[in-house]
Amino acid sequence: MPDGATGRAATVEFEHVTKHYDRRELKRGAPGAVNDLSFAVPAGKICVLVGPSGCGKTTSLKMVNRLIEPTSGRILLDGIDAAGRDPTELRRGIGYVIQQTGLFPHQAIEENVATVPRLLGWPAARRRERAEELLALVGLDPATYAGRFPAQLSGGERQRVGVARALAADPPIMLMDEPFGAVDPIVRERLQDEFLRLQETIAKTILFVTHDIDEAIKMGDLVVVLADGGVLAQFGPPAEILTSPASDFVARFVGADRGLKRLSLSRVADLDLLAPVTARPGEQATEEQRRALAASFPWLLLVDDLDRPVAWVARQHVRPGAPLAEAPSTPAEPLLDRRATLKDALSILLGADVHAGIVVDRSRRVLGLATVAGIAALLRESAPRDGSPGALAAAEDPTAEGPP
Amino acid sequence: MTISWEWIADNLDEIGAATLEHLQLTLIAVGVGFAISLLLGLAAYRWRGLYGPIAGVAGLLYTIPSLALFAVLVPFTGLTVLTAEIGLVTYTLLILVRGVVSGLDGVPRDAVEAATGMGYTARQRLARVELPLAVPVIVTAIRLATVTTVGLVMVTALIGEGGLGQLMLRGFNRSFPTMIYVGVVMSVVLAVGLDLFLVGCQRFLTPWARARAT
Repeated sequence: MPDGATGRAATVEFEHVTKHYDRRELKRGAPGAVNDLSFAVPAGKICVLVGPSGCGKTTSLKMVNRLIEPTSGRILLDGIDAAGRDPTELRRGIGYVIQQTGLFPHQAIEENVATVPRLLGWPAARRRERAEELLALVGLDPATYAGRFPAQLSGGERQRVGVARALAADPPIMLMDEPFGAVDPIVRERLQDEFLRLQETIAKTILFVTHDIDEAIKMGDLVVVLADGGVLAQFGPPAEILTSPASDFVARFVGADRGLKRLSLSRVADLDLLAPVTARPGEQATEEQRRALAASFPWLLLVDDLDRPVAWVARQHVRPGAPLAEAPSTPAEPLLDRRATLKDALSILLGADVHAGIVVDRSRRVLGLATVAGIAALLRESAPRDGSPGALAAAEDPTAEGPP
Repeated sequence: MTISWEWIADNLDEIGAATLEHLQLTLIAVGVGFAISLLLGLAAYRWRGLYGPIAGVAGLLYTIPSLALFAVLVPFTGLTVLTAEIGLVTYTLLILVRGVVSGLDGVPRDAVEAATGMGYTARQRLARVELPLAVPVIVTAIRLATVTTVGLVMVTALIGEGGLGQLMLRGFNRSFPTMIYVGVVMSVVLAVGLDLFLVGCQRFLTPWARARAT
């Protein structure tokens, strides 16, 4: 397109990328170098670069839009070497979000958002339209915010504007350098959730830098773990980083609680749900139900005509022949959404009277039961099958020898 | 030591002309000084190594007593406006170059980095991000240079220029205090007026600087 808007996502490949700063720059405290870094990000995925400070993650990011030039190696965007393109033109096609937001204090929010469209020469009316569209997209009412200056916004609002500005010309690639680093944890969590929802629609290829492993696991489709000196420590999906850390360094970096961290990666929908023993409130209890409850989970679930949960009845109150409506019952809780993470589900289960979550669909119909045992089983299943019986346990112990 | 209101009433034209001349000398000096300082300041901002020498020379020039400077210039350029302006411009350089450089240095780094990362060319970035954000500091320097220059213009009376300075000089020679008072009052009025005008310019140019969370 003549205006530079492409609207699609692009692949990003690092091929043996190395960056050496010379002595003079090292003395000035420049970020650490990058050594022989190779990885490939498919179009439309979020790849998080994570590692301790000075590991070269920001340097790696800035080599993509050539704010820093690699000493050797190539970075391919959609198969084309970035080094061969005009830097200015290249940058206009790559969204860029930084931690301190980099908003221009002297420009109104609308002008800030329309920065790249202005550079690309879009007419004023179209710029305004696009800015308003983007502000609405990131949850800021254009009527309220378009005319304000950055100083009049809260930290979280400024971060949203930063994201909107990076999206302005619909670039196929976005670079985000600790984009949610400067806000408090509650706002950060909300911005992360919103951004993941946004990504479902925009499906950009995103390189995302953070020093926070939890953020990396949450945001990444893929995670690049960098060690000091800009050496690739591990590259893979978050689950793989957590279940089979490639080295002691990665294991230490993801932390001893990585078993718990994995809980945020899976959702209730991934569980094999337990089929509950159910009955309608008007029915009488049967011997068969009593036997079924003895064999499995000791609570009978009363459901209405539309299969929606009504109440729990404990096994000792299920007396064959007695009407179930008269049996002492417990409220039908907790209810779980299929999209809830296992971390949230487990937390709810541990606090509930009945240790099973009733998983319901949108119309509150019962789909099955989620139990602590079920969650544990899923974690065991997704752990690497490497022959050792306690793969998970072994992985938790940093002193244990890994499988050959 | 009384003021002759009569003289003032009879010589409004002369007072007006002297004030206007004073204003012209000031504006030309600050205008030319700013143009030179902007170029020098931009060069020093771009090539950091130049800042030391530029600031050093400007500082050295600033220490030369004004009378001595005019005395040195007269053999070359005569008793002319040019001589006066060369001197006046020279004294603005130190303040203005420093103002330009510290204004540009004060531009938030993240804004500059974001501008580069989004595809501004160096020139676009300077014109649309760095200079606009340096305006408050630069205007402050211009105010200082302007007020200083209003005072220095008085001295150029000694080489036949001087605007209100001429008025004062003649007052001294004739032992006629009214002319001295008028010269003093009008130069203060001029300095305060120009300063207020510049404050107004700054407020107009930088609505964002006053914008705070509402």
